[in-house]
Amino acid sequence: MSHMQSRSIYKVPQGKLLKITLDYDETKNVITNIRITGDFFVYPEEALEHLEKKLKNICLERKELQEQISSVISKYHIEFIGLNAESLAQGIMMCVS
Amino acid sequence: MSEQWRLLQTGYANAFANMAIDKAILVAHSNEKVPPTVRFYGWAPPAISIGYFQSLVEEIDINACHRLGVDYVRRITGGGAVFHEKELTYSIVIAESHPTIPKNILKSYARVCGAVMKGLQQLGISSEYAPINDIVTDGRKISGNAQTRKLKTVLQHGTVLMDVDVDTMFSLLKVPNEKIKDKLIADVKQRVTSIRHCLGKEVSFKQVAGAMKGGFEEEFHVDLIEGVLTDEERNLAKQFENESFSTKEWNQRR
Repeated sequence: MSHMQSRSIYKVPQGKLLKITLDYDETKNVITNIRITGDFFVYPEEALEHLEKKLKNICLERKELQEQISSVISKYHIEFIGLNAESLAQGIMMCVS
Repeated sequence: MSEQWRLLQTGYANAFANMAIDKAILVAHSNEKVPPTVRFYGWAPPAISIGYFQSLVEEIDINACHRLGVDYVRRITGGGAVFHEKELTYSIVIAESHPTIPKNILKSYARVCGAVMKGLQQLGISSEYAPINDIVTDGRKISGNAQTRKLKTVLQHGTVLMDVDVDTMFSLLKVPNEKIKDKLIADVKQRVTSIRHCLGKEVSFKQVAGAMKGGFEEEFHVDLIEGVLTDEERNLAKQFENESFSTKEWNQRR
């Protein structure tokens, strides 16, 4: 196990400022913990915490991340304003690039 | 006859009480205990509110807040950090199912902002809605707004800037990159304005409240009838203030 922590700040195009703190296992290339903060809007608000939980153990590959984010969005009927699945995946990938 | 909504003028209160009262009205309205409600209020002492999803320690210089006697609180609404000092803050609480409120969230922002814009117009200031959640005049921000939907109820609150002190604001907020702080402050000074700046004179809180009352009545075709918080709302607000808004657990949860 090789724990790493990294952060990113990403201005979502036509959206808000997304800040991510990412803990990950570099060897396995998976997320161990993630905190998503910023000045965006999420409806319902509590859903963001579900999303953070559902991203644990997900592989740090853009396609897989985007699929997992989209699936959580549809499962919890999440509406983002100033943020979207693509930008979230982008912010996460910026932590490891 | 026009529909009658309640108007609450709760005056100045601290940050924790202010956020607790908005939430108490939301809960009371969701239980059908009170009519749709518009509230006007101010902040004493001055305070910073942060959006629900923001990190307190990343956004706010807590030591500077203590030094300058500025409170800080996490909102139940998303959006950004706001320094509340010389402003009127409004809130509106209304059922999601009310026909006057668009189901689409962005459209409902625009609708409520329409009331603020009509209020500004009564003061002689023309403005426009700038999605996602701002109102601008001559391209400069004069109002910021944030909405949540809980318990099938819409709560939107927002600021109407009466005056603005960008330097003090930046002494309280952290910026991602200290090296460009001076440039950032200069940019924000260009991008933000206030009623005082637009009109070249001071306008009292009472005058702004009067104009906003007219704005909400005109936008929503209602009569705002001045009322007070119910006992139940006051108890709920006390409870929310003590159990969440004034606590470290709530304010530092991110």
